[in-house]
Amino acid sequence: MAESRLLTDKHVQYIQTLGNSKDDLSYHMTAHLRMNAIYWGLTALCTMGHKDALDRVEMINYVMSCWDDEAGAFGAHPDHDAHILSTLSAIQILVTHEALDRVDVNRVTKFILSLQQPSGVFAGDTWGEVDTRFSYIAVNALSLLGRLSELDVEKTVSYIRQCRNYDGGFGNTAGAESHSGQVFVCVAALAILDRLDEIDQPSLCWWLSERQLPNGGLNGRPEKLEDVCYSFWVLSALSTLGKLSWIDAEKLTEFILSAQDTERGGIADRPGDESDVFHTHFGIAGLSLLGYPGLVDLDPVYCMPAPIIERLGLRKGWKALPRRSL
Amino acid sequence: MHQQDSSTLVLFSERPEWADVTPLEQYEGVNPLAPIYYSEEYKDATSYFRGIVKAGEMSPRVLELTEAIIRMNPAHYSAWQYRYKTLLELNNPLDDELALMDEIAVKHLKTYQVWHHRRLLVARTREPARELAFLSRSLRADTKNYHTWSYRQWLLAYFNEDTLWERELDFVGDLLEEDLRNNSAWHHRFFVVFQSGVRKGDEDRGAVAQREISFAKQYIAKAPNNASVWNYLRGVLEHSKIPFSELQIFVTPYTLPQRSEDDAPAEVIDLENPLPSKLAQLPCVAAIEFLADVHEAAGGDSIMKATELWKLLADEHDTIRKKYWEYRIREALRTV
Repeated sequence: MAESRLLTDKHVQYIQTLGNSKDDLSYHMTAHLRMNAIYWGLTALCTMGHKDALDRVEMINYVMSCWDDEAGAFGAHPDHDAHILSTLSAIQILVTHEALDRVDVNRVTKFILSLQQPSGVFAGDTWGEVDTRFSYIAVNALSLLGRLSELDVEKTVSYIRQCRNYDGGFGNTAGAESHSGQVFVCVAALAILDRLDEIDQPSLCWWLSERQLPNGGLNGRPEKLEDVCYSFWVLSALSTLGKLSWIDAEKLTEFILSAQDTERGGIADRPGDESDVFHTHFGIAGLSLLGYPGLVDLDPVYCMPAPIIERLGLRKGWKALPRRSL
Repeated sequence: MHQQDSSTLVLFSERPEWADVTPLEQYEGVNPLAPIYYSEEYKDATSYFRGIVKAGEMSPRVLELTEAIIRMNPAHYSAWQYRYKTLLELNNPLDDELALMDEIAVKHLKTYQVWHHRRLLVARTREPARELAFLSRSLRADTKNYHTWSYRQWLLAYFNEDTLWERELDFVGDLLEEDLRNNSAWHHRFFVVFQSGVRKGDEDRGAVAQREISFAKQYIAKAPNNASVWNYLRGVLEHSKIPFSELQIFVTPYTLPQRSEDDAPAEVIDLENPLPSKLAQLPCVAAIEFLADVHEAAGGDSIMKATELWKLLADEHDTIRKKYWEYRIREALRTV
């Protein structure tokens, strides 16, 4: 029996009780993802209008306990080495909770800038793994910290340009295949830097609209399976480029709703699979952009509550579908 | 040698040769949000890892310990990082490390860290051919693995040896024979042919373009409803600045419904314009789209032909993207 509405209360409960269940495979051995997981959970709650469902002070204390004083940035878990992924999530959580004053902005800025390589790409940490995801993370984080002016924009953009493919899409490194997740990070980074002119918009927007499969779901690349998380990544890029209407909203909404776990709560990658906080967050984010009634607006560039980004004066020219009434 | 399978792993806390190390428990005092459930073995190994890191030890037993952690959780990037530093410190033969990684990679192909570690190793061993062979085996098993392909592209560009590039087309060709819908393989082909400089024998870029167009046509004929091959074809034409109109004759049969055996006159085989296979589902959406682009580019009276084809897509053959086709119609009519 296909679920036809968003089970908000169930999802709020699901997020509140994360980690209590030992059977929850997505939490087994995922200390390195914990900071990200909290950001996903918090943002999903904000989008559903239940920001207070998790304790603010406890969350801020947790974030600060992940401060790696040697590196001057945040790890995923107390005593974990700093990484750019967890650093962005930490900043996003603190901004959402209006607690950015707790951060040593100078040190974090230094950490982020130190990760830029000569080619213009960013590494995740001193280990040197590079990916356009990290370019986006650097740009997003610096922007939230108010330090974007310290970034070498030309260098950053030139690497993203090298990742542009013949189909208009973007890959994770120069020469790599176009992938919806990588398209999201490249488009969002370029949006923050006011460099959307680097995109072959007609080709890319068409490529993005082609991600939609007959079942309504979106995939990451041609001839691959649909997955709820692409609901956000593809929709974010299309919103930023003003072509969100090219997706069949009704069919995608149906698809996302059908991936809900009606018993445990949460949303899975596709109908019938086990839910997890990652897909819960991105499914709800997608629904918000599609104008699903009762949800809070989400900024697709920063993937954070829109009112907060607006208040910071960081809103870019994106367009979501109008919010339908209940 | 202790068994590495996590279910029978002897805890480090129970091994006398580790008695000198002080394990450090994971910081759990703050009742953290989203707490992690640890298996006993993982808890034990990571506690000893924290102890080793704090002491700054870089010895052979550290390799044993980090291997145990990686096998249980290949995403533990600190373990990888420390392992790499230890390998260098000990001056261990990196070939052996790569061989060990071959085995671990089989189970954990979808983890970023597995690939980055290899990248660091091969940058030191300077033996890309061996890596390419490993990647080929890896891709035969998991033909669309994003990390594997991305690593292959990096490897080829980084070492940039003709002997490595030369065999790529055959490799891609084999994969496409097995699965012509492998988007990664099509992308890689474009990368090898058009984005990696000019190699000996391929100096005539016009001939290269024609070769690739023929190649794409053959695959379209076999199975026209394959987004990857049409994207590839468009990419080749645009890159080589060949107008789409040159393929109008080829594309047209694909825009029509399948004819029954009785209607079809005896066809003279035209190698330049292979016809759709008998099993092809026609009309093919991508072909209609292509033909519409041809008409649009011609301008003038042809614009109406383009809008008719887009209408066909919006109303019948690709209704899920109705709004997109209606946009194309509106935009084209504005120029009339």
